[in-house]
Amino acid sequence: MPGAPRSEIGLPASLVPVLTAVLAAILTVIPLHLPSFAAITPAFVLMTVYYWALYRPELLPNLVVFLVGLLLDFLSGMPYLGISALILLLVRVAVMLEQRVLVNRAFPVLWLGFLLASLGAGALEWMLVCGLRGAFLTPRSFIFQAVLTVACFPPVGLALARLDRAFLVRD
Amino acid sequence: MRLAAPMRIAAVRLTLPLLILASIGLMLLSKADLAGLDRARVVVDDAMAPLLSTLVQPVDTVAGGVRSVEAMATIYSENNRLREENARLLQWQEVAHRLMNENAELRSLAKLAPEKPLFQVSGQVIADAGGAFARTVLINVGRGEGVARGQAAMTGEGLIGRVVEVGERAARVLLLTDLNSRIPVAIEESGEHAVLAGDNSEQPKLLYVSSKSALKVGARIVTQGSGGVFPPGLPVGVIASTPAPSGEEVARVEPYTALSRLDYVRIVDYGLAGVLPQSMVPAPKAPRPSRGNDAKH
Repeated sequence: MPGAPRSEIGLPASLVPVLTAVLAAILTVIPLHLPSFAAITPAFVLMTVYYWALYRPELLPNLVVFLVGLLLDFLSGMPYLGISALILLLVRVAVMLEQRVLVNRAFPVLWLGFLLASLGAGALEWMLVCGLRGAFLTPRSFIFQAVLTVACFPPVGLALARLDRAFLVRD
Repeated sequence: MRLAAPMRIAAVRLTLPLLILASIGLMLLSKADLAGLDRARVVVDDAMAPLLSTLVQPVDTVAGGVRSVEAMATIYSENNRLREENARLLQWQEVAHRLMNENAELRSLAKLAPEKPLFQVSGQVIADAGGAFARTVLINVGRGEGVARGQAAMTGEGLIGRVVEVGERAARVLLLTDLNSRIPVAIEESGEHAVLAGDNSEQPKLLYVSSKSALKVGARIVTQGSGGVFPPGLPVGVIASTPAPSGEEVARVEPYTALSRLDYVRIVDYGLAGVLPQSMVPAPKAPRPSRGNDAKH
């Protein structure tokens, strides 16, 4: 991107956001077999898209977000392809519009922003699925996933921040 | 950084509408059940299967470690439970032997043709749905091992679903709990027919039961032969709740197998073409002998 480089980041390091997003998609579908883990796993991809859209949007561009969303739809056996792709794209745009409000703030602010993002994503997914199916579905599992995702955000968010600092040093 | 922002936003504005349109287009195409998309699903599942299989192994090892530590904590009570269960099962073994002999005798008396051998192969679950909507799992056996659409997927405890998509080395199983799953079942005791319908909750609904008196909590639910989807009598689960005037108006079934924690599944073919159109049911090929867990009897 012209004029974009602010610090020298090597190519392998600049792939860190993409790799974390792909890894998150795989982690979502891999059976973890943990005794207390239910059928629903937290939306790890949403966390990565949220974080990188806030701190390194140029390293996780729309096209990559679209492709990762599509991969997630394929792997999770989603009957309607493109749903995750659309939701993740919209979350990325929303986060970038609110970047000024959210970036470089204390963690609770970041978390609150994520809460809004995942509630929005959950509500949108539920509405899209209901619309495409042409039937009312109970929103229970969508709410459950959103709550689980918000609850799991702190460790993942901190891990992403670590990676960010380790590989993509800011000036 | 601020200088770059307008350019970045301009780039975003160019690609974003196209990608959003593409996502919406894909949704509508998958709603229309386009055959090409099904093929794309098979291709992606096939392509990802080796990677997922590799990644599942270490996860399995860690989970196995966690489980064995947990098992240590309950080893004493578990041992007592197993002793009791063993005593009970020995009685059943007695009964089974007697029935088996009687059955063999009656069969020879009636000159019944011996049952057709069934095809069977085991696969490991390499991806589960994870999301809030679909309830399917991906397993690491496919057409190469003889898996075909419409076959029953089971664990030792009972039926878990059926194969809906088959690639060269991976297949997707639609679980009983999925919104699109409809299985003809019967209440074992009364023989009452019903349809087991998934609704994304852990306990699928029991629909179209004509006599409400047959609905008793704890009643065994088994598959029913009509429609040729599954052979009759495969164990499915037990009735967990019955319609209550104050609560739900349908009965719910607790599957014998915990569908959220599947590890290995068995794909079984009883030679029934089922309700799927013929063109979509490729004849199972002779299974490759490469995997150690293949079994035929």
